[in-house]
Parts: sequence; C-alpha cells; structure tokens
Amino acid sequence: MVETSVNNIIQNTRSLRVLLLFSILVPVFFVVDLLIGSYYISIPEIIKAIFHAENADSQVVLIITSFRIPKAVTAVLAGAALSVAGLQMQTVFRNPLAGPYILGVSSGASLGVALLVLGTGGLIGGSIVSIASSWGIVAAAWVGSGLILLLIILISSRIKEIMTILILGILISSAISSIVNILQFFSNESMLKSFVVWTMGSLGSVTNVQLAVLFPSILIGILIAFLSSKFLDAFLLGENYARSMGMNIRFARMMVFLSTAILAGSITAFCGPIGFIGIAVPHIARMSLKTAKHSLLVPGTILIGALMMLISDILSQLPGSESTLPVNSVTALLGIPIVIWIIIRNTNSDRL
Amino acid sequence: MSPKEAEKVISLENAAIGYKWKSKTEYIVKSAMSVYALKGELVAVIGENGVGKSTLLKTIVGFQPPVSGDFRICSKQISSYREKELALLMSFVSTEIIRVSNLSVFDLVSLGRYPYTNWFGKLLAKDRDLIEEAIIAVGLSGYENRMVNHLSDGERQKVMIARSLAQNTQVIVLDEPTAFLDLSNKYEVVHILHRLASEKGKTILFSTHDLTTAIAESDRIWLMLHDSVEQGAPEDLILNGNFNAIFPNKNLLFDQEKGDFRIRKQPGRKASVYGHGLAYNWTIKALIRNNFEVVNSTENPNIQINVNFPEWTVMHLSDETKFHSLLSLCRYLNGLEME
Repeated sequence: MVETSVNNIIQNTRSLRVLLLFSILVPVFFVVDLLIGSYYISIPEIIKAIFHAENADSQVVLIITSFRIPKAVTAVLAGAALSVAGLQMQTVFRNPLAGPYILGVSSGASLGVALLVLGTGGLIGGSIVSIASSWGIVAAAWVGSGLILLLIILISSRIKEIMTILILGILISSAISSIVNILQFFSNESMLKSFVVWTMGSLGSVTNVQLAVLFPSILIGILIAFLSSKFLDAFLLGENYARSMGMNIRFARMMVFLSTAILAGSITAFCGPIGFIGIAVPHIARMSLKTAKHSLLVPGTILIGALMMLISDILSQLPGSESTLPVNSVTALLGIPIVIWIIIRNTNSDRL
Repeated sequence: MSPKEAEKVISLENAAIGYKWKSKTEYIVKSAMSVYALKGELVAVIGENGVGKSTLLKTIVGFQPPVSGDFRICSKQISSYREKELALLMSFVSTEIIRVSNLSVFDLVSLGRYPYTNWFGKLLAKDRDLIEEAIIAVGLSGYENRMVNHLSDGERQKVMIARSLAQNTQVIVLDEPTAFLDLSNKYEVVHILHRLASEKGKTILFSTHDLTTAIAESDRIWLMLHDSVEQGAPEDLILNGNFNAIFPNKNLLFDQEKGDFRIRKQPGRKASVYGHGLAYNWTIKALIRNNFEVVNSTENPNIQINVNFPEWTVMHLSDETKFHSLLSLCRYLNGLEME
C-alpha cells in the first residue's frame, strides 16, 4: 500500500513538473510579447518605462503601459479563460470537440453586438468607430451571452439528458447566428465592416479601465471552475455514475455552466469570439500532464491557454513587419494543426 | 419460512416499474413484483430483452421514480433517501464502457470515495487504503498506474467493480457486467462478485443474459417473466420448470439436466446409437444437431450407428460404412437425406 501511494505521488509529481515548466514559460513569453510590436523597444527601456516612468521617454511609457501591457494581460486572461471553459464543456458533454462556445454563449454575444453595431449604427450614423471601441459593445455582448446563460440554466434544470442540452445549445446558437446574418444582410457597408472586424477578435482594444472589469470577471469564472473540479472528475464517468456517487447533478451543472458562460462571455464581450484555443488547449493539457484529474487539469489549461494566446499574439504582430493579423485567424491556424494531430494520434481511443 | 422484514436488504413489495408523464399517462413495464435480497447474497436478474431488467435496476438505484408499490433498501423507501445518503448505501456499475484517456486505474477507483471526501476530493490515508484494498479484491494489484483506455474489456469491468467497492456500500447493483466479456472473463467477474458477496457480506444485484454463469454462481435469481416475477435458488427454479417460461413462443428449450437452453429441433429421421462413454454422448449430440431423433434400437430405425472410438460404423439398410470422424459421418448422413 505504501508502494502505490508512492506510485501515485510519482504520477502527480510528473504533472506538477509539467505545471512548473509552463509556469516558467508563461512569464517568458509575456516579456517576449511586450518586446514585439511595430515600434522596437529594448528590455532595459521597458523596465525603465515600468519602474521609473518619470525618467523614461514618455512615448515609450505610453506604448508600454497603455498598449502592450494591457494587450499581453488580455492575452493571458483570454487564453486561460477560453481554455478552462473548453475543458469544462468537453468534460461535461464527454465530447472531445466541445468548446467554450458550444452552449451558444458567443452567438448570444454576437447578437448583442450585431444589434448594437448594425441596429443603432443606422440610427446614429457615422459614429460607429467610436461605438465599436467603447463600453457599448462590451455591454451588448455581455447582455447577449448572459441571456443565453439564463436560457441554458433554465433548460438544464428541466432536462435530464445531458445530450439533449448539447443539441439544444447547438440549435440555439445556429438560430441566433441566422438572426445575426439577417441583421448583416440589411446593414450598410461600413457598419458591416465594423461588425466583421469585431468577429475577427482583437486583444488590443481592451483598455486599462476595461481590464479592471475583465480581470475580476475571469478570476471569478476560474475560481468557480476550481471549486467544480471534484464535480468535473465525476462527470468524466457520465451523469448516471455521478448521481450514483451522490453528486447533485443540477447544482454541479449550474456551477459549470455559470463558470463557462462568465469566462467565454466576458472574453467574447471584450475581445470578440476567439476560436480553437478553447478546443485545443484542454487536449494539450491532458496529454502533457498525463492525467484526467481536474484539480491538475484546471491549472494546466490556465497556463497552457495563456501561453498559446501569448504565442498567437506574438505571431499576429508579424515580427519584423508593421502590420498585424486578426488574432482569430492566428489561433485557428495554430489550433487546427493541434486538433488534427490529436485526432490522428488518438484514433484508438476515441474519447477524451 | 420467509425472513423478517429487517433482514431484507433490498425488498420490493407489489412494486411496479415504468414511465410516468406529467399528463398522468403511465407506461407500466412490469407490475406486481414482490422479491427481496438478503445480506451476503449474489442475486442475478434474468429475463428476456425488453422484459424490464434495466428499468428495474434503474428504479432500484434511484435513476427513475417507481410507478407504485414499495421499493425498500435497508427497510426505507428508496425515494425517501437523499442522493448523498443513497450513495453511502448503494453503488452502481453501468453497462457502458468508460473510455477516458489519461485516467489511471487508481484515479478511477478513487472516484468511488466521492461521497466521503471533502469539497476538493482530497484523499486521506484511509481513503487510499480502501482504494488499494478494492483494487486487490478484484485481482488488479500492480495496475494502479495503468491508463483505463489501455485495458482489456475484462480488466476495465474489474476496475469498475473496484470503483464500486471503494464506495464501500452495502448494496452493489450492476447492469449486465458480463455483456462484453469472453467466456473466461464472464466466469471470473461473476466469481469475483460471488466472493465479494459472501466474504464481505454485501448484497450484489446484477442483470445478465448468461444463464450458465448465473446458475453456477448466484445465490438467488430474480426471474423476470412476462406475467410474473419468480425468485429462488437457481436450482429451485430449474426444478420448478420456471426457466422455460423466459422465452415463450420461441423455439428454445431449457435443458433441465444441463441447465442451459438449446434450440427446439423438429426431428426428422430416426437413428439408434450403440456404445458408451464420452464418444457415445457426443455422437448423440452430433445427431441431434443434424435433426435426428435418437431412439431405442427396439424401434428398428433404418440408421444404426455403432460407436467404437475412434471409429464409427453406420448401418443403413444393408450398407455398412466406417468413419473416423463425426464430421465425415454427419456429411454422409446428410448425403443420405438428399437422395
């Protein structure tokens, strides 16, 4: 018995060592992310700008504190949030292709934004750009995803079968997407463009003031996920097993859906829908940590998600050039090969 | 003499299972069931597909509400327990194959400690001991760090049983635990269940289609027939001729000597066999398989077979032919039929 406890500890040490590695890599890439941009700033200059702002070039201080740091922090938050949300959805629905948006949270957000940008844009006229960079979009997206969350929780408290909830989630998001399409069809070109730009996702539009709202929201979402890790472990075996072990299914589901909607909804509200990170990262976490225990997987996905998002952001700067790519395309191009690799590698074990 | 109420760990009285909808419509799968199970008993639930075995097990573990009647676990109605209380009394193993990658045997079995651990599922020394004990009890020690999706079906089923043992409950309910297993694993799993019931004094209820293992190992059988539910020791049910009622109107006959089913054949031609021992018995089986009725030689059938292993002599009318295997003998007999 002593021997197995030791074995078990060895298995956990492996996971802990991987966690340690990632917790070193995240700050390293955070610094790299600060270094890269259309204007070259060296490390000493960055340090000076942060710690001795009064002696530094005011231009550099502005770039670092108002643009690069908020963007890098947003990247960390977005990567962590979407990955933890994706992990929870994959576990609860026992589906390797589930992601943070599977419940329709992002389509709810995009409906909110579409109604604001495409609907009021017509009334107000030319001020779309100012709306697009303001709290309006954030609020609209939050209201949209919040309403979807309420709908999903209402449905899940009435419906027993988890697969039915999955199907309803997919149907609801398709229906909402169609409404968004209709709105797009009837809107003019400039409004359409600002909406499309929103759907491409952006880490750079989050201001320091907005971060003060985004940061605690993500913290709350992640805290709920941590508190749900025992539920999530039980969900791995399916709801029947979970119930037979004394889990309160409705409460557990509500915790998980609440956390997912806060995480995915907030990121969508501030950065637009960012795809594939939420599907790919949980798989990378399971494989590198070699565990299915959520007390290890939740921190693992937080770190790996943050790292992936920082890398995506660095790549989207097109190092060495002045232009940037939409971050959504980069995460897709980075995430899709990983998902393909997972599918090919795991042909023998078809589940999570 | 029937046992006292308090001794019955599981007790169904005039119970009905099925589905109820809000609009007061009911679909009753089975009613008027009165059966029970005692401490230390392995109980097999046997019946045709669709007769309601799964519905019964789901009702007993509390996944679906009963339609009417008494369903008691340890003298209290199942529906009066809260989920957490029930999890301390009864664990469940479903027929579903669990395929989760990167989940080790130890971690899966440790999920059985779910009702006992704190909010974060932290395992204490006592939990670890019980998990290890459960893994040893199903014969999988040394497998702790193996990943469950790399196990064979038999090993995986044993891990699921270990998980329910780690839950440390008086009752274990298993839905077709031997469904995906080969013959040797079937025997092994049912044998493990029997041992757990008698050594640890648990009450283990499992549904199965595998009559031979159920008869060989279980202490009690709940036989779900179309119009009633019978219970008794397997041998009682055999002697009372209950098994033939499992598949009414079907071409299956329960062999009371062998304790298993065989296809009811419409015997065509008659043959008589002379000989003794093993070769004699298997020659008769081969003939039955080929639609022969084996009769006494006094009936003078026109086919007579003399078994003198490893040689068979067939006398057909005036012909006498020798064979060295039952395969060629059967081919010859079937050839005669063609003519």
